[in-house]
Amino acid sequence: MKLSTRLSLAATLLAMASCQKKDDTIKIGLTGVQTGPDAAIGTAPINGSKLAIEEWNAKGGILGKKIEMVVRDDEGKPKTATAVAQELISAGVSAVVGHFNSGCSIPASEVYNQAGVLQITPASTNPQLTERGFQNTFRICGRDDQQGIVSAAFARDTLKTQVIAVLNDKTAYGQGIADVFKKTFETKGGKVAVFEGVGTEEKDFRGAIASIQKSGATAVYWAGMFVQGGILYNQLREAGFKGALLGGDGMFDNEFHKTTQGKADSVFLTFGPDYNAKPEAQEFLKKYRAKFGPEGSYSIYGYDAANVLLSAMAKAGTTDAKAVSQALRSQSWKTLGGDVSFDAKGDLTAAGYVIWTARGGKFVAR
Amino acid sequence: MVQVLINGLARGSVYALVALGYTMVYGILGMINFAHGEVFMLGMFGVVFALGLCTTLWGTSLALNLVVALVLAVLFAAGWGWANERIAYRKLRGANMLAPLSSAIGLSIVLQNFVMLAVTKGKVDFPHFYSDAFTKTHWTVLGARITLLQLTMLGTTAILCLGLWWLIQKTRIGISLRATSQDRLAASLMGIRVDRSIAGTFILGSALAAVAGAMVGMYQGVLAFDSGYSVGLKAFTAAVLGGIGNIPGAVLGGFLIGISEDLTSYWIGSDWKQTSTFVILILVLILRPRGLLGERVSDKV
Repeated sequence: MKLSTRLSLAATLLAMASCQKKDDTIKIGLTGVQTGPDAAIGTAPINGSKLAIEEWNAKGGILGKKIEMVVRDDEGKPKTATAVAQELISAGVSAVVGHFNSGCSIPASEVYNQAGVLQITPASTNPQLTERGFQNTFRICGRDDQQGIVSAAFARDTLKTQVIAVLNDKTAYGQGIADVFKKTFETKGGKVAVFEGVGTEEKDFRGAIASIQKSGATAVYWAGMFVQGGILYNQLREAGFKGALLGGDGMFDNEFHKTTQGKADSVFLTFGPDYNAKPEAQEFLKKYRAKFGPEGSYSIYGYDAANVLLSAMAKAGTTDAKAVSQALRSQSWKTLGGDVSFDAKGDLTAAGYVIWTARGGKFVAR
Repeated sequence: MVQVLINGLARGSVYALVALGYTMVYGILGMINFAHGEVFMLGMFGVVFALGLCTTLWGTSLALNLVVALVLAVLFAAGWGWANERIAYRKLRGANMLAPLSSAIGLSIVLQNFVMLAVTKGKVDFPHFYSDAFTKTHWTVLGARITLLQLTMLGTTAILCLGLWWLIQKTRIGISLRATSQDRLAASLMGIRVDRSIAGTFILGSALAAVAGAMVGMYQGVLAFDSGYSVGLKAFTAAVLGGIGNIPGAVLGGFLIGISEDLTSYWIGSDWKQTSTFVILILVLILRPRGLLGERVSDKV
């Protein structure tokens, strides 16, 4: 055999082999932050999705095929996130559940959109994600322009705060939610005395706290994640600041209580409705804890996101992103968090943010 | 205002201690040890592990455990400093300048990833039992609140700097260190064991970084595998600001950067904190290319 013939034969065989492989499973990408300060909160939804996919596989998979998970860590970094998006596409995924951080989801969604891959995030709340007209970008959580409003209204109307300080972590998530909070708080007649950003690497807030104490603010809104939130809480109390600390869903992780020794009081966060009381959620929590240990705040969202995605694929009868997107928008879906449906942008039609507070080393709905 | 200065001094004392390690190594070898920030981070973890060990071995005795843990962490970090020099730099001593530099950066990545994989990808909380004693005790001075920890940080840094000065100026070890930094070949001809002096420099610098790591662990309350990065960068900047290779310069640079950071967040806003540090650095380097206390050395012909 001539070399060229041999090569072309090899190429054909290889192509056949790869086709073969592509055909016998449906690949779903699972990604989010699993390294760095957000590792704890970011791994939880991935585990939730894994559980959902395993359940589907136990029932025989989807469209006559088994589901294969392709898990990637985006380290919570926008640059890594786009690289991960490329990798997932090269691996041949039909859809992606992820990313966790808004700062990752937004640039990655451009990559998915170009490649025609469907993306559903369990946790990215920055409004920008669904505001660019991408047909195959979805989220199964609320938006910061919803939770920022709930938080600001709570501070003004319930806590009667006149003057507040707003600090953000300079990420897409932190800056976005800080802006919404400030706007709403000022519209409601309050004064934002300090409005500053500190980097995600900052662990000494004493400089900002000195400005806050000088400004006469009686409460602080932290637009960022739980590790820095816990440190900020400790340092505020160390400096003798007794006012309330408010925050968004990024602060909602049990690690916050480890950092604050479970002693945190007057901490008020916005998060989705309390699912602990729902009987449907109990079975999920039992299975989750048996497999992965204590659940994270977004575990259930990862589970719901994967279930809704796979149900829509089953309904569409294909993994084609366009058809699945249409299917997702066509009806309401039953999830552990209640019935959900998606609007034209890919957002939830109703995201019920409620105020949670820290009590006895736990977050409880108010 | 007094509060801002106290916070800045406390922050600066950490930069000063870490900057000493950069400047001493530069002084003796003419290279920048980019893995020094990681040794600081290893010191942080060392203290937390040693505290855990003490607690399991004989219970929670505050003062005893802290002293034992600090000693263990210093030994641990000093060991790493020594090992780093043996593994990554000694073989490259005659090589092109860029070789030890790449080796240092590589070592820093290896150490970070080692801690990430072997310890945790997330964060570790400093045991509150030990840090509370230092952060909850405080006095009010001129309207400012100064914690026992801040006082400890300033005091420890002052004592260590004086100790280092004494060691370098007044002891035989100091003489051999100074001789090695002035002329390695001549020093070796005079019977000074050059390799030993160089290893000693790494050990000293690493021990200081470990003490800084222990204090920062308490001060911030939380540690992670990447904790060494930003402190290392600031401390390196401090060393350059003060004149790299110059020991009092590193201490001065550390305090200047610490205070300037806190003053910036107080006067202008935290958003500008990073910017101000580097603006100061650039200005100083334009006016005094060798740093604030850097000596003007004519090029050797």
